[in-house]
Amino acid sequence: MRITGPGLSSTRDIRLFISFREAMADVQRIDLLDPAEVARFGGIEIVAQGVVEGFLSGIHRSPFRGFSVEFTEHRAYQPGDELRYLDWKILARADRLFVKQFEQETNLRAMILVDASRSMAWRGAPTRLTKRAYADRLAAALALILLRQRDATGLITFDEVVREVVPARVKAGQWARLVRGLVDTPDGRGTAAQAALVRLTSLLARRGLVVLVSDLLFDRELALTALRYLRHRGHQVIVLHLMDPAEAELAGPPEVRYRDPESAASVVVRPRELARAYQATVRREIDAWRTACRRHGIAYHHILTDMPFGMALRLLA
Amino acid sequence: MTFLHPLALVGLAAAAIPALLHLLERRVPPEAEFPPLRYLSEAERQNARRLKLRHLLLLILRTALIVLIVVAAARPLFPTQASGGSLHEPTALAVILDNSPSSGLVVDGRPALERLKAVARGSLARATASDRLWLVLADGVARAATPEALLATVDSAAVSARRLDLTAAVRAATRLVGAEPLPAREVHVVSDLQRTALGPGRAGVPRGVRVLALAPPPASQAPANRGVGAARVTDGAAAVSIVGTPGTGAAGGAAPVTLRIHGREVGRALAVPGSTVSITLPPLGPGWWVGDVVLDADELRADDTRLLVWRVAAPARVAALSAAGGGRFVAAALAVLEEGHRVRVGGTDVAIGDRPEAGSLVSVVLPPAEPALIGQANRALAARGGRWRFASAGTPGPIAGSSLPAIAGLQVTRRYRIEAVTGDASRGTGGDTTVLATVNGQPWLVRDGNVLLLGSRLDTAWTALPAAPAFVPFVDALVNRLARGEALISEVEGVPRVEFRTRGADTIGAIVYGLDPQESDLTPAPPALVHDVLEAEVLDGAAFAAARFAGAGRRDGSGLLLMLALVCALVELGVATRTR
Repeated sequence: MRITGPGLSSTRDIRLFISFREAMADVQRIDLLDPAEVARFGGIEIVAQGVVEGFLSGIHRSPFRGFSVEFTEHRAYQPGDELRYLDWKILARADRLFVKQFEQETNLRAMILVDASRSMAWRGAPTRLTKRAYADRLAAALALILLRQRDATGLITFDEVVREVVPARVKAGQWARLVRGLVDTPDGRGTAAQAALVRLTSLLARRGLVVLVSDLLFDRELALTALRYLRHRGHQVIVLHLMDPAEAELAGPPEVRYRDPESAASVVVRPRELARAYQATVRREIDAWRTACRRHGIAYHHILTDMPFGMALRLLA
Repeated sequence: MTFLHPLALVGLAAAAIPALLHLLERRVPPEAEFPPLRYLSEAERQNARRLKLRHLLLLILRTALIVLIVVAAARPLFPTQASGGSLHEPTALAVILDNSPSSGLVVDGRPALERLKAVARGSLARATASDRLWLVLADGVARAATPEALLATVDSAAVSARRLDLTAAVRAATRLVGAEPLPAREVHVVSDLQRTALGPGRAGVPRGVRVLALAPPPASQAPANRGVGAARVTDGAAAVSIVGTPGTGAAGGAAPVTLRIHGREVGRALAVPGSTVSITLPPLGPGWWVGDVVLDADELRADDTRLLVWRVAAPARVAALSAAGGGRFVAAALAVLEEGHRVRVGGTDVAIGDRPEAGSLVSVVLPPAEPALIGQANRALAARGGRWRFASAGTPGPIAGSSLPAIAGLQVTRRYRIEAVTGDASRGTGGDTTVLATVNGQPWLVRDGNVLLLGSRLDTAWTALPAAPAFVPFVDALVNRLARGEALISEVEGVPRVEFRTRGADTIGAIVYGLDPQESDLTPAPPALVHDVLEAEVLDGAAFAAARFAGAGRRDGSGLLLMLALVCALVELGVATRTR
């Protein structure tokens, strides 16, 4: 079996990926496994590649298309690519699958914004991924898909300030840089601030795709102001609202003092008696985000961190 | 409101548990990070009022639940005016069950006592362990015991031979219950309420004591009754008093009265209630005799017969000294009596003269005809140890005295006063000294040991007695009964029987037990009189049953409280689960 992939540049990576494939030999769709289970097999790269392979094998066409009439180069066939772009001559001559790519395909510039604030480093149960870990793996997988389509993909991580910026490129090694950017960004010590979002808008000069991965635990109006600005600049904006299942449904001891990790605020509650009201409040908040985003042409997706990565990616397809 | 188990109320301290738990639970809650605190704060802000209300409601419900359960365990008793309550406040209760002889009256084929016992049983059956109980029967004894023991006593109670003075019984019973430190005090008078059962005076019921009396039947329905009130043998004849419900005589006419000795009829007469008949006794040998006087049976059997006892003495041997004061009238009377075998003339049993005779057992001393001999007679009396003597002449007047009713009213024209020896007045009223008859309130016939002093000579110049028909019986009584002393026969209330008193081998007296004649009068007391004398509420059977413990009626509220506790628990469950 021949192993290919943009991120598998070193022997160590290839060895890890082989062991991962063997371990998951009896599993048809890795992307549909529990994210925490999948994360045990390795780092971001391993998980992201496994997820993307599973994800792409389950669909018949690439989710992000950028094909045009002007041919530029060939690239290896990926399951889901349309067969009409398959180069039959190479197939007949060398028995290898290549698709033809065109000039317009690389025009898509995708920038993935990952919230690295302190609240993202929280998880409701030890068996689950933190929101940040989930966001990293999801962002890596998404970047891998985009890069495989020869879309220039970049990364920005932020909390109170912008932490890491990886400009959008399509050249070889870009995915590794992106992953390194994610890994090098520590869990934030502060909250995601509107100032950081404003700073982001200035970094995205050319129109393209902007994917915001965040728990959205900041002021909705201020965040929407920044997102509206991006939209106004002609960007296609996708908001991935991450939430731990424990944040969606309140549970806990009879009485507990909950403390906000990003501030000194705390409140004593009885989860059992407030659970229903809390659930309604969360539902209202999600609806408010969805409504506000739809009003401004922004795609909004609510994702729980126990959702398989494949399903989360499918939301974007 | 009172409690059957007040100690259980200590558990009310547990009512503080919900509040304490609430406070303790709030003290040190565990801490945890929770990023979406803004959602939490928002939810709490929007539900703060509802949650506060919910907390308050739950606190109240849980506290109420504990209070209700604890109070229910203490068995609360709520006062109620209705008598249907099965429980009542602790009550001091005295039940007076009048089982006097009149309760043996048969009404509609059943003794009246059965009806009275049923009523008394009803009062005692409703008593509880927290009550203090007494039962008073006709013997007047207040028996304090448990309800069960008193019920057994009531069941075994029979018609007594004793008359019950209701006024005294109520007075004593009200004192008993009045002294008890209990919330309620009642006296239940369960009696046929004869008018004669009400003694003198008023009961004087203390404050706070209720007296309930079972109403008697109306006076118009008073049953007819006749009874032998008294029977006594005097001078050879039985005097029998017939008593009964007034009006019975007019309605029923005269009834036959039979005198029996050893079951054999020896005399018969007709009598109506309120009258006294004399039945002559047949000649009987010396000794003690016991007989009974019997009436025809009626609804009250107990008073239809009465025992009587008497002694027949041997004829006295009399020596009448004519020269010394016996006189011809006495001699004639003794002759008549000798013919009738009542006396034997010429003996030493009784001597009649103007001074005591040394050789006789008893001397009947008449005053000397000559005033000058009075001193000699007095010296002779003093020599015999006499404590009475003849004094100056007294004023004329009629004879009075219960010992000799036949001569009462006869005129005495001349007499000597009989007085006690000077300086020995106390001796004059000694045990063996008896004034048997008086004239103008002054002793006329006195028994002083073995000497009888008569204030007048038995001559028509001194008194009209010798010319009266009662003279011969008087002389008979004088020598046979008064001179030799009467056998002491007393009548006592009790179960009919005769008890003889003896001294050595001699029988010296007898006690005849019988019913109180007042029991024969079945006329019921008017309710107003009962209310006035006994200070009681006079109630008929139904009202009596309803009024018992009515002032202190209580209902056990534990069932209701447990129901409320259940409702509280259900509401609490609903609030705790549905309002989250």
